[in-house]
Amino acid sequence: MTDKAYNECVDNFADGVYRFIVKNIRHTEDAQDIVQSAFEKLWVNRAQVLPEKAKSYLFTVAYHQMIDHIRKSNKMPLVDEASIPHQPINQAQTELKALLMRAVNELNPTQKSLVLLKDYEGYSYQEIAEIMNLSDSQVKVYLHRARIILKNKLSAYAPTAS
Amino acid sequence: MQLNESTYETIFLLYIDNELSPKERLEVEAFIADNPSYALEMEALKATVLSSDKIQYPFKENLKLQSEISLDGMGEDWEEDLKATYATMLKSDVEAIPGLSTSFKNSLKKETASEAIIVKSFGFNQQKFTYAAVAACLIIFFGYQQLTKSSVSDLAKSNSIATNLNKVLAPNISPITTTKSTGSSENIVSNSNKQARVNSINPVTKTSQLATTKLQVSNSTKTQRSNLLQQESIAMAETTPNNSVLDNQAAMKEIPRTYNNPITINATPLAVSTANIDAESTVDEKGLTTYEVIDTEDPNRTIYIANFEIDGNKFRGITRRVSAFLKRNKSDKEK
Repeated sequence: MTDKAYNECVDNFADGVYRFIVKNIRHTEDAQDIVQSAFEKLWVNRAQVLPEKAKSYLFTVAYHQMIDHIRKSNKMPLVDEASIPHQPINQAQTELKALLMRAVNELNPTQKSLVLLKDYEGYSYQEIAEIMNLSDSQVKVYLHRARIILKNKLSAYAPTAS
Repeated sequence: MQLNESTYETIFLLYIDNELSPKERLEVEAFIADNPSYALEMEALKATVLSSDKIQYPFKENLKLQSEISLDGMGEDWEEDLKATYATMLKSDVEAIPGLSTSFKNSLKKETASEAIIVKSFGFNQQKFTYAAVAACLIIFFGYQQLTKSSVSDLAKSNSIATNLNKVLAPNISPITTTKSTGSSENIVSNSNKQARVNSINPVTKTSQLATTKLQVSNSTKTQRSNLLQQESIAMAETTPNNSVLDNQAAMKEIPRTYNNPITINATPLAVSTANIDAESTVDEKGLTTYEVIDTEDPNRTIYIANFEIDGNKFRGITRRVSAFLKRNKSDKEK
């Protein structure tokens, strides 16, 4: 990977990696540190990483560092969601989004990562399996379980919200 | 793919995860169109999909390489170009230094400027180096001469004692004159006096004394030595079986008074030697250890290096000259 390709990786993937991490751990400073560490590792190993594999490499490194971070902190302190910058959306979408995020945050870390990687990054089961060091069938089963949980939670929240 | 009551949920999840082929997606959509009751189920599952959320990493620019140094436009001989640029910079910098002589500036500008800088930085020109080399050679030469002179004088003394001993021992084989025996005894006594002076500080038997005694014995014939040793060891065993060194030296001082008796004269040094060896071995067997007390403040102290005897004053003079030379050299270098 050339220096130019590395800079392109920063442009294209830094936001995605940051979003994935910050949605998982909900702590902006720690998420920034993890992103920085991931890109540092990419820079150190740039000779071995192909440009087309850079995104997967970054997410893999960031995911494992996030897991380490979660294990070390052993807690997921909630931060004010307002500290995470969002694009303005209308009221209905905001409510639905808030409910969904509340449900997602109640998932276990693996299910949460699966949902985030699938929905935000659009990775296939196989790619998610590589990033999270799982089998394809495990990804499929865990993700389906997560969707059912989210559906049930949303249906449970809906009467309260209404 | 078979869509029915038991499989629809899995296939719907694959549908919203975009894991179905276009053909399979069409089949699912047709199934929902045929069975509107499943449409709500599909909508509920679609609601679990997170919509895109734009979050930007705030320090993206910090992750990028801030300055990219490219060698693409420098050509193949960029190294030579760099050297030339550096040389030009060096020349201009040398000109800008105030207080440097023109010759030194020119030497810096030369291609071999680095070597000139190294030599100058030591403050050691060729002339000084030559002087230093000559001085070192002279010191080594005179030092070696001094050492060899002292060792030769020691050897000469030993030889004179050995020769005299041979002469003293001669009565057993061939008669000797009184004059010669007197001379030999004087030599031995003077040597013993010298040793007694040393031993006045050190009561322990000196190694050199033993060596001298052994040399005396080795210079005589084996037969004479064995005979005399037998005779004298018997005689000493009867009279003074445990003589100390000082007693032996006192006995040696008595030699001039008993020189008329050739047996006594001959016997005494040998008796001393055997008694010394016995005394030393006794000390060793008893395990007693005594140490020599050296007066380091004594200006007339004799320095022994191995078997060489060195005059302390001369040695100090040499070291003084060497240290003065080195100090002078250091001050020149500092200047």
